[in-house]
Amino acid sequence: MSKTDETDEATGAGEKGVRPTSEPALGLRGVSFSYARPEGEPELAAGAPLVLDHADLSVPQGAFALLVGGTGSGKTTLLRLCKPEIRPEGELSGMVSILGRDVRGLSPRESAGLVGYVFQSPDSQIVCDSVWHELAFGLENLGVPQDQMRRRVAETCYFFGMEPWFHKRCASLSGGQRQLLALASVLCMRPRLLLLDEPTSMLDPVAEKSFLSLLFRVNRELGCTVVVATHNPGPMLDYASVAFAMEGGRPYQVPLGSLAGEPDLLTQGDATAPQTTASPPRASRVVRASGAWLRYEREAPWVLRGCDLELRSGEVRALVGGNGSGKSTLIMAVAGMLRLQRGHVSNALSGSQALLPQSPKALLSQPSASEELMEWSSSAGYTREQMLALAESFGLTDALDRHPYDLSGGQQQLLAFAKLLLTRPKLLLLDEPTKGLDNAARSLVATHVRQAAARGATVLLSTHDVAFASAVADTCSLLFDGQVALTQPAGQFFSESWVWHA
Amino acid sequence: MDEAGRRGALAFETCHPVVPAVYFAGVIGIGIFTLQPVFAAISVVGALCFAVCCTGWRRALAQLRWQLPMVALVCLANPLFSQSGLTVLATLGPVTVRLEALAYGLCMGASLVCMLQWVANAAHVLTEDRLLELSGTRLPVVTTMVSMAIQLVPQLRRRFGVVESARGACTSAQAPRKGGRVHASTVLMAWAMEDSLERADSMRARGWELGGRRTGYRLEPLRGSDVAAAVAVGLLAFAAALAAYVAQAEWSFYPTMPALRPWWGYVPFALLALLPTALTLVLRLKEGRLGSVENR
Repeated sequence: MSKTDETDEATGAGEKGVRPTSEPALGLRGVSFSYARPEGEPELAAGAPLVLDHADLSVPQGAFALLVGGTGSGKTTLLRLCKPEIRPEGELSGMVSILGRDVRGLSPRESAGLVGYVFQSPDSQIVCDSVWHELAFGLENLGVPQDQMRRRVAETCYFFGMEPWFHKRCASLSGGQRQLLALASVLCMRPRLLLLDEPTSMLDPVAEKSFLSLLFRVNRELGCTVVVATHNPGPMLDYASVAFAMEGGRPYQVPLGSLAGEPDLLTQGDATAPQTTASPPRASRVVRASGAWLRYEREAPWVLRGCDLELRSGEVRALVGGNGSGKSTLIMAVAGMLRLQRGHVSNALSGSQALLPQSPKALLSQPSASEELMEWSSSAGYTREQMLALAESFGLTDALDRHPYDLSGGQQQLLAFAKLLLTRPKLLLLDEPTKGLDNAARSLVATHVRQAAARGATVLLSTHDVAFASAVADTCSLLFDGQVALTQPAGQFFSESWVWHA
Repeated sequence: MDEAGRRGALAFETCHPVVPAVYFAGVIGIGIFTLQPVFAAISVVGALCFAVCCTGWRRALAQLRWQLPMVALVCLANPLFSQSGLTVLATLGPVTVRLEALAYGLCMGASLVCMLQWVANAAHVLTEDRLLELSGTRLPVVTTMVSMAIQLVPQLRRRFGVVESARGACTSAQAPRKGGRVHASTVLMAWAMEDSLERADSMRARGWELGGRRTGYRLEPLRGSDVAAAVAVGLLAFAAALAAYVAQAEWSFYPTMPALRPWWGYVPFALLALLPTALTLVLRLKEGRLGSVENR
């Protein structure tokens, strides 16, 4: 007994005083919040807009709670208010409590040990160079003594089965592994409440599922209360015990069943929707890859192993397949960005192609969204009016004066996509265009892909998003082992598929 | 570290990093401050042998492709600048080539290349992880910064490729290619800054800036045997350094070089320089993987 007390004393974040009680793990009472305005901006008569408006919430201990809402609904703000170290600047009223204690009364040390926070991006939340160092980072900060630190790191590694990559460099891990590492390094600190902000939106479905099942084990076996903010609750419904939907700055409890199902991405009766007839019209062939072999380094394994692909003019082709099956590589090879070791790619539209990379930030370089959209206006020949019309159709009108990096990830993606569409490319290459997007944004991307196709553009896109692919694609190719395993009309492909079905 | 499975055992792999740190400090320090043919030769042999242990025959030989020309360059360039020495070998126009100047250049070039090789060897044994471990908890900011930099460099390089090629692939924009590099660096900077905001939050959320005593996770505990080994290596290095001091004082290239004689003073440095190779060979013999030197 004295040993545990000693531990608690030493870590400063112990479990004393938080014996199971009826107190909710996370409670909000009449919480309102508005962001501080940057200096120099005029005061509005009505004050800054409220992101949270008299929000009430009670998450019981041991719950697996979902906080559902689209981009900009205030999910992230709500989560961050529960963690004093990363609370946004602004005006807060009402009370936020963790296990019955007001967060304003929590010392940073207590908060660090009591509440864990996992961020969205697998790339930017990792601090240290190697896995073991990342796991120990929080414990080192808390000054946990050596043997306790080793114990916690060891137990966390054991729990997640991370032993094989304990000595690896973080840079060599996949996105899914990095996100798991982020979760593990937070759990090392043994938090009672775990907050996660869109933790799986950057992961592919397989990595997402394995992440969620581990998160579920954390919740059930370790008794850690979990709150996940997400715009895509579908995959989490099996694990969640309670769900709240953000509306008008307030979370409302909703039945879990109401969150199931996919909304239609294209409006009913859209004239541009893909043809459901079995055989697409025989248009001329514009892209052809034959026997393409490619690897990135001499000793590395082959990524493409004799890959064949044909695209006809005006076709929308979806590429599906697991991680590392070569989807992105094939797209880059078609774009002429990679040199094949064997075989060849001919691309009749190489002079008028546009590529949307997985990270839209790679295309954004201007100080404001409107300048971003106008960057290529003189060379590609479009007018400001055309730009404004397109921006409006993407719902970006209000964002035009802002810096691209002040936009949400979803808006950045739409901005980069709009920037490409303005150049009227004849070949659109899209690498996971709906990754991390909420339903509204996915629907916008779907609509514009179909419009581009109706205009005569050929589209090649890779995706893990079955609903999106079946909404926009005419044909679908399955990539496996560096080859196109089969190509079918999209409707037929998805109806026959065992694992990819809408 | 990922390579460790494919090659055989390596000296200093199983002891606390303080031992190799003392060793390499000694061998590199002596190499830098001593310019004497026998010491230089011993150092070259030691460095090359251990390079073979670290990277295998093929890569060590491949290294010679730039190392030998480098030595030749320094050796041949020295007579251009140095007109000292008495033994004239040839006169090429205004340049008089003297034996002593050539010897000095050879010795200089060999030491230079061999120091680089020792540093490369040290990097093989003292990986970033182990170096960080040496710095301990005294410099948390520096340690964290170095650790962060190590993981960010590959990310930055990968992103540079993405930015460059993504922009190049958008031919429909008809954008001029000029200023591509500048553009890429602007994007990378903005991207990295954006990331750093979230990384700072992630650090703060895990108790960075708490103040108070910080601890450090020890990957390898410091045992009595490690201390003993470090002291032994240190004493050997000290003996070698004393001998090097004496040898250096008695040696001069100009005006003429004294004759070299066998001397017991070379023994400590020879032991020191060949120590890691010998240790590696013993370890691999025990493992029965001597062949793995060739089989790589």
